[in-house]
Amino acid sequence: MKGKCVAVVVAAIFCVALAGSAAAQEINAYMGTSPDNNAKIAKFIKDKTGITVNQTFQSFGEIEARVKAEAPNFNADMIIGCGSSTGYLAKKNGWAVPYASPAWKGVADVFMDPQGNWYNIGNFSFLLVGNKDRLAKAGRTMPKSWKELLDPKWKGEIVMPSPLSSGTANMMRYSFLALYGDAEGWKFIEALDKNIHHYTRSGNAPTDLVGRGEFILGLTSDENVKKRLDDGYPLIWSVPAEGTGYDGTFALILKGTKKLDAAKKIVDLLGTPEFSALMAEIGYMTPRPAANALYGKTLPKYINLDLGKAADDKAKNNDIWKAKLRTDFK
Amino acid sequence: MSGERDARPMLVLRDIHKFYGTNEVLKGISLEVNEGELVTFVGPSGCGKTTLLRLIGGFTDVSAGDIILDGKRVNDLPPNLRDTRICFQNYALFPHMTVAENVGYGLKINGWPKERIRARVSELLEMVELKAFGERMIDKLSGGQQQRVAFARALSLEPKVLLLDEPLSNLDANLRLVMREEIRKLQERLHITTVFVTHDQFEAMAISDRLVVMKDGLIEQVGTPIEIYERPANEFIAGFVGYVNFMDGTVSALDAAAHTASVDTPYGAFEVSLEQKDIAPGDEVLMVIRPESVTISLDCGIKRKNVVCGTLRSYMYAGSLAKCTVAIGDKKMIIDQYNPRDAQRFTHADKVEVEIPRSVHLLKKKKERPS
Amino acid sequence: MATAELSLKVQAGSGSRIKDFLNANLINILAAVLFLLLAFFLLYPIIAVLIKSVRGPAGFTLEYYRAFFAKSYYYRSLVNTLLLGAINTAVCLVIGFCLAYMTTRGPWLLRKPLKIISLVPLIAPPYLFALSLIILFGRNGLVTRMLDLHWELYGFSGVVISQTLAFIPLAYMMLESTLMSLNPNLEESAYDMGASEATILRTITIPLMAPGLLKAGLLIFVMTIAEFGNAAILGGRTPFLAPDTYTMITGESDFNMGSVLSVVLIAPCIVIFFIHNYLLEGKKFTTIGGKPVAAEPRKITPLIKVPFVLITTLAAGAIFICFAVVLAASFYKILGVTDRFVLSNYLDFTSNQAIYNSIRVSLVAAVIGAVIGVLLAYVIVRGKFFGRSFIEMASLSGFALPGTVLGIGYLLAFSAPPLQLTGGIMILALNCVFRFLAVGVEAGISKLHQIHIEIEEASADLGASFLTTFFRIVLPIMFPAFIAGFIYTFMTAIVSLSAVVFLVSPGFQLAAVKIFDAAVYGEIGIASATTIKLVLIVMGCVAILNYITKKTRLGSAMGKPAA
Repeated sequence: MKGKCVAVVVAAIFCVALAGSAAAQEINAYMGTSPDNNAKIAKFIKDKTGITVNQTFQSFGEIEARVKAEAPNFNADMIIGCGSSTGYLAKKNGWAVPYASPAWKGVADVFMDPQGNWYNIGNFSFLLVGNKDRLAKAGRTMPKSWKELLDPKWKGEIVMPSPLSSGTANMMRYSFLALYGDAEGWKFIEALDKNIHHYTRSGNAPTDLVGRGEFILGLTSDENVKKRLDDGYPLIWSVPAEGTGYDGTFALILKGTKKLDAAKKIVDLLGTPEFSALMAEIGYMTPRPAANALYGKTLPKYINLDLGKAADDKAKNNDIWKAKLRTDFK
Repeated sequence: MSGERDARPMLVLRDIHKFYGTNEVLKGISLEVNEGELVTFVGPSGCGKTTLLRLIGGFTDVSAGDIILDGKRVNDLPPNLRDTRICFQNYALFPHMTVAENVGYGLKINGWPKERIRARVSELLEMVELKAFGERMIDKLSGGQQQRVAFARALSLEPKVLLLDEPLSNLDANLRLVMREEIRKLQERLHITTVFVTHDQFEAMAISDRLVVMKDGLIEQVGTPIEIYERPANEFIAGFVGYVNFMDGTVSALDAAAHTASVDTPYGAFEVSLEQKDIAPGDEVLMVIRPESVTISLDCGIKRKNVVCGTLRSYMYAGSLAKCTVAIGDKKMIIDQYNPRDAQRFTHADKVEVEIPRSVHLLKKKKERPS
Repeated sequence: MATAELSLKVQAGSGSRIKDFLNANLINILAAVLFLLLAFFLLYPIIAVLIKSVRGPAGFTLEYYRAFFAKSYYYRSLVNTLLLGAINTAVCLVIGFCLAYMTTRGPWLLRKPLKIISLVPLIAPPYLFALSLIILFGRNGLVTRMLDLHWELYGFSGVVISQTLAFIPLAYMMLESTLMSLNPNLEESAYDMGASEATILRTITIPLMAPGLLKAGLLIFVMTIAEFGNAAILGGRTPFLAPDTYTMITGESDFNMGSVLSVVLIAPCIVIFFIHNYLLEGKKFTTIGGKPVAAEPRKITPLIKVPFVLITTLAAGAIFICFAVVLAASFYKILGVTDRFVLSNYLDFTSNQAIYNSIRVSLVAAVIGAVIGVLLAYVIVRGKFFGRSFIEMASLSGFALPGTVLGIGYLLAFSAPPLQLTGGIMILALNCVFRFLAVGVEAGISKLHQIHIEIEEASADLGASFLTTFFRIVLPIMFPAFIAGFIYTFMTAIVSLSAVVFLVSPGFQLAAVKIFDAAVYGEIGIASATTIKLVLIVMGCVAILNYITKKTRLGSAMGKPAA
């Protein structure tokens, strides 16, 4: 009879493990900001609407890959926080549910699609960060321009994300290409590559690696810099003279969702000044004007960009990137 | 008895103690094994016999005491430097080698030239009658054949002492009998000092020059099979080496001239021949009555010495003997009647008379008797 | 089956005829069901990967393979991967063997502590060591600063070291169980015949352990080349196939190229799997009294003792320090940057949820895996049908498949209707079930070989139906195998990253993925705290399982998951 007891115990374990935690109102979302910012956004939504957002942390690049892989049967109801390229791609392929949200009236063009396919909850940029202690130890100062990064003295001391997996890195790439033009831009990227120690998977990783002093300089997303400064990392940041690029943090409703109403409710919430205030506090440039945590009231100098073209060119540029930068293995 | 003839101690154990943690498994063992002698450690499981064997072989450290092999103290020598060879219960043949490779392993290790190894291996295989099996793998052999290979391997280096750990326990009953005779013959021929461990008391008696009966980490008695069987030192040994009927009694008188003692029991008085010196009138004793020593016959008429009456409770015919259970008063006695074919047959409830021989052994009772 | 002919003869009414037919053919029906399951959840995903690697927009093409072999980058990646696998396997086997030797043959005093240190990392994610190494030996690491080292951690050597530390426990576990089942009398016999310790190792121990060594080697090789955590964190610019595959799928969403990389990753594993099978042919040594026994401590000669003690101390020390670092890091805001003592890392709710999910997935996987394992073992041993050896091959080959491959395979095979499974607990659980099936099946097979078919026949003879016999006789006897499969699947599933990372969905994060993300993101404190929590909870679970089986006195083969 012991066998039976064990069988009962095993069966019980099995049932408990399988039983899902079914909550009142839930929505599945791909969220591409940092884990704690995802949590802040999810909490804000939960507090204001009562909807629980189930989320995984993935980089922008990964979310785009996922959406492409899953189309047209998505595992999530919506995306809160993907790169602009994903937004344009979704619009082009009809993967998004257009929704003209009344809550978004009056925001600038860069923050919403005219048809309501995507909404931009906040622009972010990329920065140059340095490790104060290591700079001081080496007796160096922060570079004033992007070109200064090409100085051989930085060889092996710079990290940046890989455009193959990171949306931030894609932004860096199209920003440099826009700044210098295609031909000169690629030359810059190639020259910079000589000094790059390695390319990280996530766009925020350089902030941490430089903050820990593993490397002296990093090109990184600006979204987490504020938090790392607060945490006590000996970081210093700057926007070099040429200016910086930007990307949107898009939100959109995915085709096939069974929770359209909830998704719409969330989109509406994302257009409110309160939400903008939250995003600005985190460090984003928001659709509704609010004081930015990192930059304050004076916004950095921006490079002139066409986000739509950047999205279209992404695949092509990935190929060029691989062809040009993976040559040292010959 | 080859051992008694030259009486040169080949292996001496002096007050051996062995602890596992705080658990004392050997509590002071002293023993001498003479050259060419076959000594058997026998006892119930957990008595420490295998541990003792492993101590002699060098696989386990002694906690206290000395092991002296051929006059040299070997306590600190590892097995590979001791001139003892062991045959394990499971043979421990190397399954990735052929029979010949197994037998020649020790020779190879000890740097013998190839030719000599070959010659010696074939000599050994011939000795154990496995000449044709040299190239076989171990798992293609029967249990008995594996036993022989293990034996040949252990003998290959002509050890001073051969240690056999329950070598026959994995064989079936008939094969066991054959193999034990073979081992004995070979041992006598090679005149090799051998320590044999078994839990089978009959095997022990059949094969040994001397038995060492152990219990709870102590030696209970050392002696020839005859001594152990006929003059057991205590109740445990008496019961361990064969079935025994005990009968309580009191010594009422001694006749020093006739070497006899009179013993009063609740079932009557018996006259018993006396070998022990330490028995005095008035001693409480235990009569050790072996089933085969008792004579049983029908009817219970004239009162004679050493005869008591009883009632037959069961009669089991088993060819060479019949096992009879007889109730004498409140006592049941088991009696083996040999060659029942030519003897009286009994049936249930027969009145029988039972004659206790004068040769029964007397055990002086201690104050607290082990139950 | 004896029941088959018997019951076929007695065909009474039509209702009982169906019953008789079922009764007689149940083992075949069972085999068919299991075959379908294997085909569906093991073979189909692999075939999906194969197909994807040769199907372009315009049908069949070898373009992707051409692209792979034309690029020196991939070639380099492949070479690095194989080199990593080979070095790692060799080092892990040597260290694992030394550890196993010391804990089964060495002094009593050392056995327990060595064993605990060697086994604990088994329930921690493999890339934990990358974290510790960065904290200690990174360019700004504690040790680097203290000793002013100039060692470049990021690159091949860093990956090799972290990966080796990560897989020592697995090597140890497998080799220890091999050594435990090796009759110590064999070595003692050799010792007795005059062999020195080194000679015993060379002529007896190692040759007899060959099957176990081969198997451990194969498993470590496969897991090493598929596990991408350490390579992704410490690889720097050194390419390896597993992280490349990961980036290709998750970053570039190039499934064609990703499939090609996977297939290239499978190829060496399959080759080694066949070499392993070939070498083991006819090497199944039977040793009398092969019950696991702890051998008595040996007087180990200095010639062996010095290197063994050195190697084991170094390895155990390194593992211990890495764990201590993780433990310390879990209590600091950011260890090595701001040494502020905090408890917040432990209170992170998302990691609790992830751990909870991981345990759920692993439990479901363990239950299904153990049941299927036992059933498979049964049909493999007792069944007499066409394709039996194929089923055996298939169910034992799971462990020779890199996790990434089955991860991508599941993503390709089960992401669209009618077989849509993505986005839930089942796809994760099933993936773990079929990857880690081999252990339960093997334990089941060896257990069944110990039972005589007569026992079942006796039961059938007494009039029991096939089902009754199975439930009353076979299952109880196979219970230890069930437990072995259960615990192994549970523990492996909970820390495995290589496959599940492709399959997690929003709302269903797993601890292994969560820790990896936190680590990559720089949240060392949270990554460490989650690891510690995970280790403690898994140890708790295993302890409870042990307790249950001990209570029910069914756990003779329990205690450790046989490998």
